[in-house]
Amino acid sequence: MLDYAEPVTKLIDEFKRLPGVGQKSAQRLAFHILRMPEQDVARFVAAMEEVKRKIVFCTVCNNLTDVDPCRYCSSTSRDRSIICVVEEPYNLVAVEKTRGYHGLYHVLHGSLSPIRGMSPDDLRLQNLLPRLRPENNDGIEVREVILATNPNTEGEATASYISRLLKPLGVRVTRIAMGMPVGSDLEYVDEVTMDKAMANRHEM
Amino acid sequence: MLLESLEAHCFRNLSGRVSWGAGLNIIYGDNGQGKTNWLEAIYLLATSKSFRTQKPQEAVRFDEELAVVRGRVARSEQVHRDLQVAIQNNIKTLSINGKRESVARYLGQLHVVAFTADELEVVRGAPEARRKFLDRGIVSMQHAYVQTLSDYQRVVRQKNRLLQDAADAELSAAELAARLAPWNEQLVALSAAIHRARADYVERVNAVLERRLFGREEVSVRYVSSLEGKGDLSDYETLIAERLQFRMQAEMSAGYSLIGPHRDELEVLFDGRDIRSFGSSGQQRSALIILDLAAIAVYHSWHNEYPVFLLDDVDAELDRKRINQLLEYLEGRTQTFVTTSKENLVEQYAARAEIFEVREGIAELLAAPDGRISTSSKDASSI
Repeated sequence: MLDYAEPVTKLIDEFKRLPGVGQKSAQRLAFHILRMPEQDVARFVAAMEEVKRKIVFCTVCNNLTDVDPCRYCSSTSRDRSIICVVEEPYNLVAVEKTRGYHGLYHVLHGSLSPIRGMSPDDLRLQNLLPRLRPENNDGIEVREVILATNPNTEGEATASYISRLLKPLGVRVTRIAMGMPVGSDLEYVDEVTMDKAMANRHEM
Repeated sequence: MLLESLEAHCFRNLSGRVSWGAGLNIIYGDNGQGKTNWLEAIYLLATSKSFRTQKPQEAVRFDEELAVVRGRVARSEQVHRDLQVAIQNNIKTLSINGKRESVARYLGQLHVVAFTADELEVVRGAPEARRKFLDRGIVSMQHAYVQTLSDYQRVVRQKNRLLQDAADAELSAAELAARLAPWNEQLVALSAAIHRARADYVERVNAVLERRLFGREEVSVRYVSSLEGKGDLSDYETLIAERLQFRMQAEMSAGYSLIGPHRDELEVLFDGRDIRSFGSSGQQRSALIILDLAAIAVYHSWHNEYPVFLLDDVDAELDRKRINQLLEYLEGRTQTFVTTSKENLVEQYAARAEIFEVREGIAELLAAPDGRISTSSKDASSI
């Protein structure tokens, strides 16, 4: 026999499909929903349906967007000669928050990881190379591609793979630096980061 | 560094608090009373791990939920720190001076070198045990090396999976080579870092090795790279990159990584012969002790303080002559903890060691060099 009535069990099972949600959390969420006013539940359901209906991948950069091309790709004020490659849309947001970068983006939606079954075919890479041709970029030539994948083994492998694809085309390929977080004290930095920062020091 | 006192609650069968001596501590008792449990508690306090089990909860006393091991460590005359490891629901919580700390910050407060039955794998087991011996030593000097090792293992796992899956995916050789390249590129840099760190560590070990501590036979060690004889090791990056290129086909057919420091070996020679195949079990133990002492000396030359030395079941591992030579060597150097069930060892060292008798998990001071004999609880300042 089921612990809860069928509809409740079904809802708990759906919550359990979500990342980071186990049996206990799923139960708590399901019972929270049961206690919510009906219009709140309807709003929640509508929000989920809307996001699935309206949000698409930008055909140029693969960012999640409700207009295609996305607002970065269609902006007239951005520098179209630089493309910053990131793994996920939230990485794009992190770069954008600097307010110091005004180029375009390319979102891969993942990184290379044979263990997790992620091969180059599973990354959104097919539409990167065509973007480097001026005729596909408002007549502007791309001077530089910045690889801003994560500083772990998978991110490094992804950056290395892409740089091997791009180098033969003659475009400048750069990798974001690794080292000290700004605004913190040296004493709070972990040894590995410190080690990297020492190795990547620069002339003054 | 000095472990001044140790307190255990519900950790295996241990209870109570013990004030240790600064030199030799002999933990004596009949089998099954809990001698090794005290060593395990010290090891746990130092490393946050057990040398007996991978599952923390196994060390919690039956029918209890929470086990606590707490110790006071003297880093200098003025600096004392209270370390604590608590185990509950298979989760360990570490704290320093009553404040919770991350593993990275906790480790290194108390460094131990332990001679246990398990560690004998270093002289008679597979090469992996010897690589671990080296890596432990390197980590004790350079903590960032932990990250190098874990990145390396991750890259090898990724590459192995790629090679395994390649057979089913029916990739062309060119496509597979393109997919291998990003992993091989990292493999080159990480392998070079590991190779250099290990070669450097072995050099340090050789410089301090007490080759003839136990007699006329000479112990020596040599780091043998799996790329030895394949080219110029002094330009390791170029050499391994060439080998990866040259052996790519072989790695594809094998379906796993064939090249890298995960295939390297530490050669331990006893009078010029491989200790693993030719050494008697006594010679293997002697060689391991000499290696451990070298690890202690290297640690000392780097940090200018001695780690704590643990020796489990000394009688089972070494004959009397070697025990005497060893303890004599350690005198004035490390704080040492040995367990024994033999009364005559206790009698012999009664004047030079703190002797503790363990009964049903409780350690009681039987004798101390200064004549201090007491059964009441003692405070750390009396050391």
